[in-house]
Amino acid sequence: MTTPAPVHTSKKEEAMKNLLPPTAMSRRGFLALTGAVTLTASVSACAVGGGNASASGGSTVKFWDMPWGDKNYSDAAQSLAQAYKPGDGMPGVSYQQVNWDGFNQTFSSAIASNTGPAVSTGGGFQAFQFAKQGAISYADNLIDSFKKDGTYDDFLPHTLDAMKTSDGYVGIPWNLDVQVFWYRKSILDQIGATPPQSWDDVLDVAKKASAKGYVGFGISGGSGNYGPMAVLSLMINNGGGLFNSNGDLDIVNDRNAEAVDFLTELVRQGVVDPGSVSMKDDDLTTLWTNKKVALGFQSPAFNNVVGDEKDVLVTDPLKSHRGEVGGLYYVNNIMMYKNTPSQAGSEAFTSYYIKNMKTLWQKGVMQGLPALKSITELPEFKANAQNTAVVEKWQPICKTTAAQSSALTAKLATIDGGQAMTDFCQTVLAGKTPSKTILTKLESDIKAAIS
Amino acid sequence: MSTSVRRTELPLTVRTPTHEPRNRRRRSSPGRAPATKLFLILPSVVILILTNAYPIAYAAFQALHNGSLISPGEFVGVDNFAKVLADPAFWRAAGFTAVFAVAGVFGSWIIGIAIALLLRTRIPAKGLLKTILLLPWVVPIVVSAMSWNWLIGTSSSPVPTIIHALGFGDAIFLSDPLGAQITVCLFEIWVNFPFMMLMMSAALSSVDESIYEAAKIDGASARQQFRYMTLPIIAKPTYISWVLMAIFCVNDFPTVYLLTHGGPVGATNTLVVLAYKTVFQNFQTGPGVAIAFLMTLALAIVAVLLFRQIRKSTSQ
Repeated sequence: MTTPAPVHTSKKEEAMKNLLPPTAMSRRGFLALTGAVTLTASVSACAVGGGNASASGGSTVKFWDMPWGDKNYSDAAQSLAQAYKPGDGMPGVSYQQVNWDGFNQTFSSAIASNTGPAVSTGGGFQAFQFAKQGAISYADNLIDSFKKDGTYDDFLPHTLDAMKTSDGYVGIPWNLDVQVFWYRKSILDQIGATPPQSWDDVLDVAKKASAKGYVGFGISGGSGNYGPMAVLSLMINNGGGLFNSNGDLDIVNDRNAEAVDFLTELVRQGVVDPGSVSMKDDDLTTLWTNKKVALGFQSPAFNNVVGDEKDVLVTDPLKSHRGEVGGLYYVNNIMMYKNTPSQAGSEAFTSYYIKNMKTLWQKGVMQGLPALKSITELPEFKANAQNTAVVEKWQPICKTTAAQSSALTAKLATIDGGQAMTDFCQTVLAGKTPSKTILTKLESDIKAAIS
Repeated sequence: MSTSVRRTELPLTVRTPTHEPRNRRRRSSPGRAPATKLFLILPSVVILILTNAYPIAYAAFQALHNGSLISPGEFVGVDNFAKVLADPAFWRAAGFTAVFAVAGVFGSWIIGIAIALLLRTRIPAKGLLKTILLLPWVVPIVVSAMSWNWLIGTSSSPVPTIIHALGFGDAIFLSDPLGAQITVCLFEIWVNFPFMMLMMSAALSSVDESIYEAAKIDGASARQQFRYMTLPIIAKPTYISWVLMAIFCVNDFPTVYLLTHGGPVGATNTLVVLAYKTVFQNFQTGPGVAIAFLMTLALAIVAVLLFRQIRKSTSQ
């Protein structure tokens, strides 16, 4: 077969010109359009106008809240907020729930455009981050009023101190997210094991559970924060952490390496789900709910979340190879912003919310621990025996992300849930890299992120 | 045989006169016509400027400062760009963005044109097939990503379970860096091939069947017809679709973010995902916006190159 005659070439070109509609767009016009479309799509997403939008709320204090508990939490929290009766001349309150997914973007964008809340809950270090950027209204006046009416003494130890900076209190503690170790009793009964008390026990029980087809040690390194929190829990458990007592980064040390080595050993022994590197937090919760997981770190009241109050139980704090105990916890707080129709109104509402939030635990909709001792003594709270174990055994020995320092700072907002910790956790769960190499990379990534 | 030749020439000669008067009319249109057209376009242009020009200008401002989303910070000149260009994570993301875009453009184009050619033949239930084939493009990307996650996301998902049952071991697509990269590229192709199919179908529908009949009579094989007739005829819409698809792929945030969040260990970070993480996870607004600008610059260069190809294809 020969190549078609040149006549075809000319004809086809002619045909193409005639059959296809002629474009009226010039090269310059097309490029301008391309540039506009691309630039708009890519840059607008990152750009937030800093214009003078209308001030927050007008005559109401805008209260933004996160989903802190089960499916009934939102209604309970909204009812609590709406039951607030402002005093004479004080503004009322509007309630809005904000999803965790992309919450940093939601808050930052809103605050930048002056359309943000006057009062909010949020990430554990959010108040520090926004205080550094000049958006937070410090809570010192409110703390003083708590000292006068006795509320100050009701806070659990160290919780208020965690909110203190050189410029004042950035927020008011209201619930604690303590990373505690859970086990499923029915699985342990089936394999003839007792609840683990040490890292060696964890490995032993997890291997037995895996041999029966269960996930011995549940951890999720994909989206979300469960994985990084679990790894950091083990590091603090062994007396390590991200910082030294002076608040300087101190990641590449033997204590942290031992924790990473322990987790790597769990991976190599096959007791961790092979998909853990990319597993999402919700998928891990589903595995727990479906009774597939024997052991793992989770938040308080996790047994309520998986609907198995009697079978999913808390262990005692684990002893590391060094015989150390410890864990990770977050002091979640209510923060006030400068963008408010009335600072007195913001303080009045926050005071009301703290003093009446016990209803959230009485209704059983909360997952975190209350920051007030009086709530931990309520019969409704004690009805879940695991809550008592967390308060009495875990909370006193836990430290924050700042460990081994005690000072919370804005840089923790970058570290907690940031890319450095996610990459770190995923590398550990891949089980192929020496611990010191992983820790060195983490330190350099965190340095770059907070510089 | 001569009949066939006439058929071949028919569309070429019949259509030509219909364009000439139009062109003449356009050239001889009175001076008020362009003003009228401009007036009609003006509302869209004004809205575009109001909604996009300010954010872009403010983003440029942020790229030259070391502030946050809330406070502008100090002027640092091109330091943010220098910082980004010195970061290995940026180059890893740039590399994967290129792979992702090339796979997305050419993968979806190859499948799209293959199906478009198939749909030109006589096959039963063609309309129904077309509708079904459009589904990946029509269904919201969030739904598609969730479906894929359900199918392959964990070791207990259906696909890994089946693979394991067949004795091929653990197939955790998203946990392995290379597996995750291949998966997101396949997802991109799967979501976008219907668009290419439509573009190519539209291009092919304007080609008269009689020229193929003439080629057959001249002894051209199917491969030769495709190589020497179909491809040159659809060259212009192909290049345009490549430009559009390249823009889609480079700016495609949801695919990567929903499937892998850029993981594992940053293996599937594209530039747009890296920009998002830099701004909203690391709170480094200046570097994050700088990434977006560099991404735009690279895409503009690609667009220029492809546009030159379009001009070549029409001027030859």
